[in-house]
Amino acid sequence: MGLNSGVKTRIYTKSVAFSLWICSILMGVMVVMAIRPSDAYAQESKRGEYEVKAAFLYNFVKFVEWPDDKNTHADRTINICILGEDRFGNAFDFIKDETIGNRSLAIKRFKTLQHIENCHVLFISRSEKEDIEHILGTVKGLNILTVGDTEGFANKGVIINFYIEKNRVRFEINVDSLKRSGLSISSKVMHLARIIQG
Amino acid sequence: MIFCLFNLPLSEASESTGDLSSDLKQMSLEELMEIEVSKVYAASKYEQKITEAPSSVTIITSDEIKKYGYRTLADILRSVRGFYVTNDRNYSYVGVRGFARASDYNARVLVLIDGHRVNDNIYYSASIGQDFVLDVDLINRVEIVRGPGSSLYGTNAFFAVINILTKQGSELRGPEVSGEAGSFNTYKGRISYGYEVGNNANMLLSGSILDSKGQNLFFKEYDSPATHNGSARNCDYERNYSLFSKLSYQGFVLEGAYVSRTKGIPTGAFGTGFNDPRNRTIDQRGYIDLSYDRSLGQQSSVQARIYYDNYYYRGNYTYEQDPKTINKDIGDGDWLGGELKLLSTVFEGHKLIFGTEYQYNLRQDQKNYDENPFSLYLNDKRDSTVWALYFQDEFQILKNLVFHAGVRYDHYETFGATINPRLALIYSPWSKTTIKFVYGEAFRTPNVYELYYQDESVFKSNPNLKPEKIKTSEIILEQSIGKGLFISVSGFYYKIKDLISQHADPADGSLIFENVENIHAKGIELEINKKWESELEGRVSYSFQNTQNEQTGERLTNSPKHVAKLNMIFPFIKEKLFLGVEEQYMSKRKTLANREADAFFITNMTLYSQKLLKGMEISGSVYNLFGETHGDPVGAEFRQDIIEQDGRSFRIKLTYKF
Repeated sequence: MGLNSGVKTRIYTKSVAFSLWICSILMGVMVVMAIRPSDAYAQESKRGEYEVKAAFLYNFVKFVEWPDDKNTHADRTINICILGEDRFGNAFDFIKDETIGNRSLAIKRFKTLQHIENCHVLFISRSEKEDIEHILGTVKGLNILTVGDTEGFANKGVIINFYIEKNRVRFEINVDSLKRSGLSISSKVMHLARIIQG
Repeated sequence: MIFCLFNLPLSEASESTGDLSSDLKQMSLEELMEIEVSKVYAASKYEQKITEAPSSVTIITSDEIKKYGYRTLADILRSVRGFYVTNDRNYSYVGVRGFARASDYNARVLVLIDGHRVNDNIYYSASIGQDFVLDVDLINRVEIVRGPGSSLYGTNAFFAVINILTKQGSELRGPEVSGEAGSFNTYKGRISYGYEVGNNANMLLSGSILDSKGQNLFFKEYDSPATHNGSARNCDYERNYSLFSKLSYQGFVLEGAYVSRTKGIPTGAFGTGFNDPRNRTIDQRGYIDLSYDRSLGQQSSVQARIYYDNYYYRGNYTYEQDPKTINKDIGDGDWLGGELKLLSTVFEGHKLIFGTEYQYNLRQDQKNYDENPFSLYLNDKRDSTVWALYFQDEFQILKNLVFHAGVRYDHYETFGATINPRLALIYSPWSKTTIKFVYGEAFRTPNVYELYYQDESVFKSNPNLKPEKIKTSEIILEQSIGKGLFISVSGFYYKIKDLISQHADPADGSLIFENVENIHAKGIELEINKKWESELEGRVSYSFQNTQNEQTGERLTNSPKHVAKLNMIFPFIKEKLFLGVEEQYMSKRKTLANREADAFFITNMTLYSQKLLKGMEISGSVYNLFGETHGDPVGAEFRQDIIEQDGRSFRIKLTYKF
């Protein structure tokens, strides 16, 4: 009996200690959140990060000129390819019915670099971070607009790289990579970008 | 209730996504740049490249799990540089850097699933066989981080941290069924369902079941008429079922997992009746984990986690000596806890992590008794608490020089405090070269089994045990060359003080755990990874390790000097048909009885196909292709000194995605 109640008291004090720990942590979290009330309220009207990025990609296509545009197969479909993990979900669903000029758009998903030469835009997922040098080596000279959303990708040679600033999607353009790719991007887009050299 | 919570927002989200995208596409770039977005992968800022981590890291992906035909976490770890696995036909034990103590139930390696600690609170066991809580088919990737990790994770992160990341519902998109059949009448089935709405709601549900009749085995140590001439029939059976669920919404992830595994003991371990199928263990473990990840502005994020875990062990041991009885061995663990972690890059050039953890062990109970006639040997009930604070700074001193400093303070109700630091300097003299200097300390507290387990004859408790400590120094050189070639060379030196190990008490011959051994070891590891453009890929590794017990000057038991691996994936039909080949070599190992387990060389092969038929994956595997005879050194509870491992075995597997 005596032993038993002793154990119970110990368990009781521990539960109290645990609840206190949890409470103090929760209060800490609430205080931190209270500092940024705008965030919590803004949540409702926020868009998915990748929905916005999909819209950006769609817009980029309008402002990019591929060298083969002047060629005979100008009515070919524009392929937007996603390499690696696809975080867009169904954000690209709208694109099926869209055309730019007389060219229709298609989304293609790739796990490897096979058949990548048919891509006009190549979105390189974060999942391919370890492999980025190899990927860029492979697309070299293929007139592909490479796009990423990983810190440091632009410096590595990806042409357009998304980043987030103040919860808004921004992008940087590596002008030297752009030059090497043989593509041209409208100055309208260049004005909005953070310019990276190298 | 969980369903109600998650159903509502899901259906709302699915309605709104369509509208959102259609109006987004009308917007100009300027307008798009003004839209506030909710970030889904808030922590991704802190995802590191292998070369940026303050350790030597290996990553195994779900793709490799399929193409090499891995059945368990043990199979995965066998393929990893410097790692090896010992099996005693009940449990599997992982060896790291030449250290593999028989029957330590993997207490010196920390296993995490999506950041949730798996090691239990009685034996600290992190099971890696069919008793592992997750079906390997649900693994997205396994990150193996070598070296001490106590500065971030506390106890058990002694030799390595194995972090397993599970798949997302979006990777399945709908139902998937899988069935497999293998040697020794082994059958396994799995049914899973994945679902995704928009960018931020995800669901994965899965259940698996396994039944294996096992082998009829012969043990020469029991080759006498009294013990069935050494033949154990129908005693090697194994059954398992497991469940897994993961629901994520915005930054919340609710994860639940459960496994129950029953394994027959064919070896006569612990002096039990030989060739008696009633000898078996049941291990069950389960957890519920709720985590929340949220960014606080651009430069900080917070991660919070609360969890509840349960571990249940029942051992059935028959004894034929007087009195003829069944002995029941019981372990019951319950624990709950929480963690809060703040990541910040507010200060230019610094990545800061600050965290706190609390674990309350509600129950750490052990019991042992004879059933009939009833006799109680042990009825030990414990509970305890531990809390911790940790801090890490990743300081970018120069563009190519980063200094990591981390320290963790753990406070145990039972042992008091322990402080464990880790320091690392990461230098990249050229863009493709990284050199890391790492020093770290880690600890492992004695578990309640080592502290309090006793019976009236063989086992003696030792409540005075202290935590064991390890200090490790490493130099790691990582070099990328050209396209897809990656080379890693590392050297390590470690020193263990007060190792908790079991000894026979000279006074009465009883077994007791004591802090008596000091150990040091040094080694070199080399690995070359190559990915060709044609989907051909491979890795080859070699590790050399020299371990020494400081008192005796001898090499440790179950510690091979050389371990080498070769893994290759050959694409036969692009994206559709692959051959995965594995070669594993291990040099001889000393056993407890001072004999030697022979060196061996094993070949595994898997032919894997996908997309030949829509949604269908088919694979056929042969393990130990050349039927190499080999055995593993085992613990003191066995009459055998070495237990023979499986010869050639097969598996076919079919997975269909609807």
